[in-house]
Amino acid sequence: MKENSTGAAFSELYSAYAAGCLDPAYALLVETQAALRQDVKQAIVVSEIIAATQLEIAEPSNMADDAVERALAAIDALEDDMGHLPRVALAGVNEAMEELLQLPQPLRDQALDAAAEDGWRFTSPGIRRLTLDMGSAAEAELYRLDAGAAVPRHTHEGSEMSLVVMGGFTDETGSFGPGELSIKGPEHIHQPVADDDGPCLVLAVRDGGLKFQGVMGLVQRFIG
Amino acid sequence: MPKPHKGRNVRFKAAPTTTETQRQRFADEMNRIATEQCRASFASLFEFFAPRIKAYMQQLGSDASQAEELAQEVMVTVWRKAEQYDPDKASVSTWIFRIARNRRIDAHRRTNKPDLDPEDPMLRPPEPEEPDVTFDRAQLEETVRAQLETLPPDQLSLLKAAFYQGMSHSEIAKAFDLPLGTVKSRIRLAFNRLRGQLEGEP
Repeated sequence: MKENSTGAAFSELYSAYAAGCLDPAYALLVETQAALRQDVKQAIVVSEIIAATQLEIAEPSNMADDAVERALAAIDALEDDMGHLPRVALAGVNEAMEELLQLPQPLRDQALDAAAEDGWRFTSPGIRRLTLDMGSAAEAELYRLDAGAAVPRHTHEGSEMSLVVMGGFTDETGSFGPGELSIKGPEHIHQPVADDDGPCLVLAVRDGGLKFQGVMGLVQRFIG
Repeated sequence: MPKPHKGRNVRFKAAPTTTETQRQRFADEMNRIATEQCRASFASLFEFFAPRIKAYMQQLGSDASQAEELAQEVMVTVWRKAEQYDPDKASVSTWIFRIARNRRIDAHRRTNKPDLDPEDPMLRPPEPEEPDVTFDRAQLEETVRAQLETLPPDQLSLLKAAFYQGMSHSEIAKAFDLPLGTVKSRIRLAFNRLRGQLEGEP
């Protein structure tokens, strides 16, 4: 199934994201897609404005009597600590690293962290992947396909969302370019092939062994 | 002030959102926090927003003490990031809501990292925002707020369920006792209206 731009406007994925009910791995997918596509970004901005107006009229829940004082004390403590905000020093730069540096945020930081920690893993000829540590119940991986590389024919246990971040690929259901999302379930068997004109980067999020009901089941509460 | 007008829906009018004057006051306070580290302005924003952020967190399943902590953290982040607030991009409410929402998503993360993480995304330096080439955020917010005022209450409650309470369309169908298709088409209709899109446009 290929999601289209009309779907983008009101998809439950975006409303769940706006509301703060999306698992972190899927939130990364939505944020990355918004960085790549203006129509998605606009839909999310509208969603956030709706949510913000509801926050304004929410029935307030009383804070502790000394709440403001506590916040100001925390601010004082932080100010004392300021001046050394560390950023990860970039490890050796190679070809794949160059590509990672071009990724939109927040995906870039996640990918650089993963490259520095676990590194790329070989998957099959012309294909490697990074496992992103999203602290999520779902699995998030960034795949890199050499130009023309074919992913072995496969199916999925649960549902998988693949967002093209760079380049493009084609499978039995169509061609996907930057910002396009492919949604596959157990009923699909497919063999994606990267386009010939350059490497293809794909952010894949899958619910793996989790028992979700259908694709949109994944937006159901992850909340404790 | 809401003008009395003879029309339908008036008696169902939900609690009003913030007024233009109030939103301007919030923006001025943000500006004073950014430029003069003004504590009084912070206290004033805190008084309005902290209890509402707490309510938001509770509604999404946090218990009262957890929600209080999250509201505290969000407000401290508001202080820390005050310089990044740009009144041409969003109202203060939208900006603060986004921080609260991000904190909420972050709270879903499995805690496999140390408690005090200097790499906490909340503490990271600002990301330069890429320009929006096809829409003007301030304009968009004005349109959405104006359209929200005109929305019938039943449509508004569906939007609230989807975009603020984060319910899926099938959950909403169950809760409102409506067919799923009706929920989807009403939300789509209302959403498109809010973005200033006329019926029939893609």
